[in-house]
Amino acid sequence: MSKENQKEENAVNESYRQKPKVAVYVCHCGGNISDVIDVKRVAAELSKYPNVAISREYAFMCSSTGQDFVVDDIKNNGINRVVIAACSPFLHELTFRGALNRAGLNPYLYEHVNIREQSSWVHKNDKEGATLKAISLVKAGVEKILRQDPLNSIRVEALHSVAVIGAGIAGLRAALSCAENGLDVTIIEKSDSIGGNLRRSGNIYPTGEKASSIPENLSKKVLSMKNVKIYTQAEISFVGGYVGNFQLNVKKSDGNFEKVKAGAIIVATGFNHYIPHEGEYGWKKSTFVLTLPQFNELLEQSAGSEIEIEGKKIKSVAFMHCVGSRQIDGIDKPGKNGKVNDYCSRICCTAIIHSANRLKEKFPYVDVFDIYTDMRTYGMHHEKYYKDASKNDVIFFRRPLEERPVVEIGSDSIKIKTKDVLTMNEEMEIEADVLVLGTGIVPNDISDLVEYLKLPRGSDSFLQEVHPKLRPVEVSNNGIFIAGTAQGPMDVMETLQAANTAAVKAAALLSSPDIPLDPFVAVVDEDKCTGCGLCLAECSYSGALTMMEKEVNGKKKKVAVVNPALCKGCGACVAVCEPRAINVAGWTLDQFDAMVEAIAKE
Amino acid sequence: MKVNTKFIKEVKKYGAFDISACFNCGNCTAVCPLSAEDVSFPRKMIRYAQVGAEKEIEASLEPWMCYYCGECSDTCPRQAYPGEFMMSLRRYLISKYDVTGISAFFYKFPWVQNLLTIAIFAVSLIFFLSYTGDFQELAEKIEMAFPAYVTLAIIAYVFMFYKKTIMDKAGKMLISFDFKNIWETLIHGLTQKNFSSCSDTDWTRWIAHLLVMSGYTLTLIISNLHLLEPLRIHYGLFDISTLLVFYATFAILAGGFVMMFRRVVKQVQSSSFSHSTDWLFVVMLFLIGLSTFATHTANMALGPDSDTVSILYKFNIAVEMAWIVIVVPFTKWIHIFFRPMAIYLRNLKKEKQLV
Repeated sequence: MSKENQKEENAVNESYRQKPKVAVYVCHCGGNISDVIDVKRVAAELSKYPNVAISREYAFMCSSTGQDFVVDDIKNNGINRVVIAACSPFLHELTFRGALNRAGLNPYLYEHVNIREQSSWVHKNDKEGATLKAISLVKAGVEKILRQDPLNSIRVEALHSVAVIGAGIAGLRAALSCAENGLDVTIIEKSDSIGGNLRRSGNIYPTGEKASSIPENLSKKVLSMKNVKIYTQAEISFVGGYVGNFQLNVKKSDGNFEKVKAGAIIVATGFNHYIPHEGEYGWKKSTFVLTLPQFNELLEQSAGSEIEIEGKKIKSVAFMHCVGSRQIDGIDKPGKNGKVNDYCSRICCTAIIHSANRLKEKFPYVDVFDIYTDMRTYGMHHEKYYKDASKNDVIFFRRPLEERPVVEIGSDSIKIKTKDVLTMNEEMEIEADVLVLGTGIVPNDISDLVEYLKLPRGSDSFLQEVHPKLRPVEVSNNGIFIAGTAQGPMDVMETLQAANTAAVKAAALLSSPDIPLDPFVAVVDEDKCTGCGLCLAECSYSGALTMMEKEVNGKKKKVAVVNPALCKGCGACVAVCEPRAINVAGWTLDQFDAMVEAIAKE
Repeated sequence: MKVNTKFIKEVKKYGAFDISACFNCGNCTAVCPLSAEDVSFPRKMIRYAQVGAEKEIEASLEPWMCYYCGECSDTCPRQAYPGEFMMSLRRYLISKYDVTGISAFFYKFPWVQNLLTIAIFAVSLIFFLSYTGDFQELAEKIEMAFPAYVTLAIIAYVFMFYKKTIMDKAGKMLISFDFKNIWETLIHGLTQKNFSSCSDTDWTRWIAHLLVMSGYTLTLIISNLHLLEPLRIHYGLFDISTLLVFYATFAILAGGFVMMFRRVVKQVQSSSFSHSTDWLFVVMLFLIGLSTFATHTANMALGPDSDTVSILYKFNIAVEMAWIVIVVPFTKWIHIFFRPMAIYLRNLKKEKQLV
């Protein structure tokens, strides 16, 4: 533990050792709570509860005024434990821990009771019931905090190096930013070269440059950094360790293994273009049915006054949106994982429109049709592409979401039949020389990695961050960050932003010599532990629990030992321990007993 | 419905320059005070044009229901000028209903119509000035020939309009004898009361239109029935003819002046985009009013034998020649008939449940 942190924690006052004085605050949440729950009654009821010294209610506890109440009561009224009944702890638990910290009280002597999601929002039509439930929940909160020990964050040593998995633009950008922040970086790339999908994507919005120029530019910079090491054609065969001290087994191109050590890992495994099923919108049935990346390549290569395929002059092109995106169960054929892609791939609308405009600008004689579902040219100024496309005489058709256009391959042209919302739902028949499928984005298959790193994935197989707004690019596993299209469909700008975010988070995490971790981990009462080993069998985090010979009260004994850096505090071990020797700090069985007691008393 | 990309390019030749910008949001239709369920516009019409639904457009009464309030153009988020598009559709439809095909030619090459108008006027004037016989007699023959020529043109247009909008759809002739329908058609024709349907009634435009229409109709009756003989009769101030001429010419001049003025200052949508044919129309009307008025007042002051009266009268008849021969049967003029007729046909469609 660093000296500075030590000093900080010593400064925390020791008032919790005195007789407990609990302060209860009931938040109105600006009507979200108080419109249903009688907050005055809750506060009044709690003021009579044993050990509660102060009980208040206020419109917004999270406001600076609300927090000042807490700080003031701790500093001036001798409060040594705090219960706040408000929203979900997800939103403001950290806010109030900060307030306790400022007041000099151990931040874990605080209990956040959720009476919004768990009471006022779900019992809108039962005000009395909601109020009584809130009172019970707050009383349980008081009972819990009375039995709470002050906790200190766990600190682990940090290596000043990062492993970046994937060398697409997200990986390269993240690696570059980490390296620029003085961290040693190892890039591990599965394919034989760096740069990723963008090397073959034609011309891209919004700046309209050649897509390949972006990875080329990044590669050049990354290669010039002395503290970056790159393994291509490399595969990860195992990952061990924990935040600050990960070990990755890497199988290199020459077949030899290399152990890569890293304080943090950035996963930037990217995406693949959706590949249509044979026959899906005429795919593989004609050389005139192309995917958008294929068409973009053709468009970039075409020069002169005419665009041709196999010597045939192309006079009309139809673009089809949402191929492999926004699929519907029962209508679309599921992919290899047995699921349909029900998400929006986000970038295709703008990408298609961008290509349509480029086509019109390069070859104005071509008739262009655009069959979309919903036009989602989101993003700064991207609406302009859509507007320009209209002015370029692109003719749009909007198909209903459940409607699948029928593609008929003729000898001379392709016929597309679709219901069109814009033409009063009439069945339209579009004839075009070329059909371009706006294929969506699917995540790369990284099942092995998901297993090694215990990465959370959504139902769509993309990696999932803890919270897109509150904790972007973070996963629940400390020290692992995700960046780019492995997270979900993103355009180049968003990918680079995510990559930079991940790099900054990794750099911030590794900036001090040790890393603070949440203290909610398993704690073993060695007196009670019988060394049976049942807990070990239940633990799903390898290395978090081990059995060890130890001297306890002068006697040698086999006991369970927790590695706090690896323990996630899930409590699986607690459930199987008969002598109640193992507990999760901050969530002990005694606390649960008291809470249940308090609720059941009514 | 087969998509035809050529159609919109064709319509654009009639002035709908910006209509591709439309993304079919429907604000125009929502804000339009005249659009109704059975005659829905402008969005539906724009969409038909975008996908090239030529038949549907030709069978539409909607363009004639539009009075160009301009609210749609003001509201359009894409500056596609739906109001001007509806105007262009009217031009396009006149061309389509013109069996000779000359209107289409004039709309696309307006300078030809302008040149021909000037040429006919100039040739007639030179001929009239050099004519040594009894000009009053010649004028009588010319003016008596006008109704036959104009009637032929009107019949052809009205039949084509009826055929495309009703017969082609119903597969047979349909006629409504409903008195209410006939009455409503007459009222609309005479008062153009749909002008008051725009949410801010453009009184100036409405009154100018009414003045021009009534003044012009009167002139038409006076001249085509050859009621004036300024080279034979000396008219007094209180003669019925004088009163009629004064009203008619005042109405044309005042209304025509307002129309021209508005096309110059372009303060409202309806007069912001003038096609050459619009100008030809108002300028010629104005000249007819002016020359008729000048001839008549000169006659009153100087008598029928005056050379001035003779020259003015020849000028007057020469303008009428150009007007009747080149302007009336082609391009804009026929809208006078199409508007009330569209009201009649709309009611007919409702009555016969022709969807």
